[in-house]
Amino acid sequence: MSAGDTIAAARPRVIAALAAQLRDLDLAEECCDAAVEALLRTAEFPRDCAAWLFVAARRKALDAVRRRRREQLALGSDSATEGQDMGEVIELPDPIPDERLRLIFICCHPALATEARVALALKVICGLSVEQIARGFVVPEATMYQRITRAKAKVRDAGIGFELPHRRHWPERLEAVLLALELAYAAAFRDAADSEERQLAAEVERLALTLAELLPDEPEVLGMAAMVLLARSRERARLDGAGAMVPLSLQDTTMWDRQRILRGSDLLARAAQGGSGGPYQLMAAIQLTHARRAFEGVTDWQAILTLYDGLLVLRPDPVIALNRALALAKVEGSSAGLAALAGLPGERLAGFLPFHAARADLLRKAGDFAAARAAIDQALALDPAPAERRFLEAERQSLGEARASLDK
Amino acid sequence: MQYLLLINEDESIYEGEAGARIMQEVLGKHMAFAEALVKDGVAFSGNRLQPGATATTIKWDHGAHSLHDGPFSETHEELGGYYLIDVPDLDRALHYARMIPIPGKGAVEIRPVWEMG
Repeated sequence: MSAGDTIAAARPRVIAALAAQLRDLDLAEECCDAAVEALLRTAEFPRDCAAWLFVAARRKALDAVRRRRREQLALGSDSATEGQDMGEVIELPDPIPDERLRLIFICCHPALATEARVALALKVICGLSVEQIARGFVVPEATMYQRITRAKAKVRDAGIGFELPHRRHWPERLEAVLLALELAYAAAFRDAADSEERQLAAEVERLALTLAELLPDEPEVLGMAAMVLLARSRERARLDGAGAMVPLSLQDTTMWDRQRILRGSDLLARAAQGGSGGPYQLMAAIQLTHARRAFEGVTDWQAILTLYDGLLVLRPDPVIALNRALALAKVEGSSAGLAALAGLPGERLAGFLPFHAARADLLRKAGDFAAARAAIDQALALDPAPAERRFLEAERQSLGEARASLDK
Repeated sequence: MQYLLLINEDESIYEGEAGARIMQEVLGKHMAFAEALVKDGVAFSGNRLQPGATATTIKWDHGAHSLHDGPFSETHEELGGYYLIDVPDLDRALHYARMIPIPGKGAVEIRPVWEMG
């Protein structure tokens, strides 16, 4: 592991322990970042990175708290003389207590909007910069900065607790965490995500695996981790040499990461033992069925169609219906797929690029090149990311050629 | 920390004879709620409000004001009562807010009180 990886792996544990003791997210983050900076300046990398960071961050926190106290005393505030000395409060526990679950529950509290939850988690727990998070979610940096600042203010002002939630409220709280992770997953693994966004994907994977490690008996948490591993297994195959997006069905499976596929498969098998199904397990099962092509050479589209049918019951969502229509096209032919697409709420999907890309693909297979071209133009009009634009433009060109050869 | 629990309800459920019975049940649950707060040592206060129709609202627009009959927001769910509770954090506040009886459609909004100094 590189120094960067070691620090990234240690960070959630350090900041969580610090936040739980200080009960101050901002101070914990500030001190943790300062400790990381100090670590990067040391000549010799410590053997136990997490312990080193924790001690250094704790010392900085102590300094900050004392400074604050002095300032309050100078201002003659009564509250400065109250309370115990922080030197006693911030005792060094050995080993560092694992408070990561607490921190995840705080950052992903249902009192925060889903977008705010995921931004806060990536910033505070994973230590991604505001710029990196903004790029991942394709929003201006200033917007993301504001979103994170507001989320932190809400944690403080609404008095979001630093205690682990009561077991009875876990289903509700876990759902909030999983929805946040799903949003991060969608940003990190959208088809057109470029290599610069791998940092985000790596952190989403780390977060999902951490949650699976902390809650090994929650089937949906395991399903989520499996889904992320399986999506990440295809990372190297998603772009071609020219930086154009390669659709899943055309990806070179020798470039898929088999170790991640096997880990995902194991997690999903463990989730199935838990007995209760759910959307994340179904989505992971769809990913796994795709991944099997690396071993079996073919894709079981009938199985994928059945899984989408199940998912659509749990989540009657036009985007899932769109993916189901594509699976149907593989099983029953492009005209069946096109008929299914025609039954979707077109006006709701009009601004959704994959809808037009899917239509273009099916129209082309059905031999309607002019309509396929029009659908690609609609997709291109929606301002695709560079990798997807390259793919769509290449498609458009090959459609032109196919048409020209027909005209001859 | 102090939290104001604002009870917004569609009060039509309390109309008529069946409504009066529901109201009796709800009042009993409010009594039980208050007893739970006392038992847990939570400092609190609270009141039931007269229906929205009894409200008068002063509307301001940059220095000019006018009087309106009725509540500030014209929705089916209207402010029908509140509790002010003092608990350590939002999760505790949510714990108690969930205990407030809402027999029909409604919502309980949990607002932290701005702490002075």
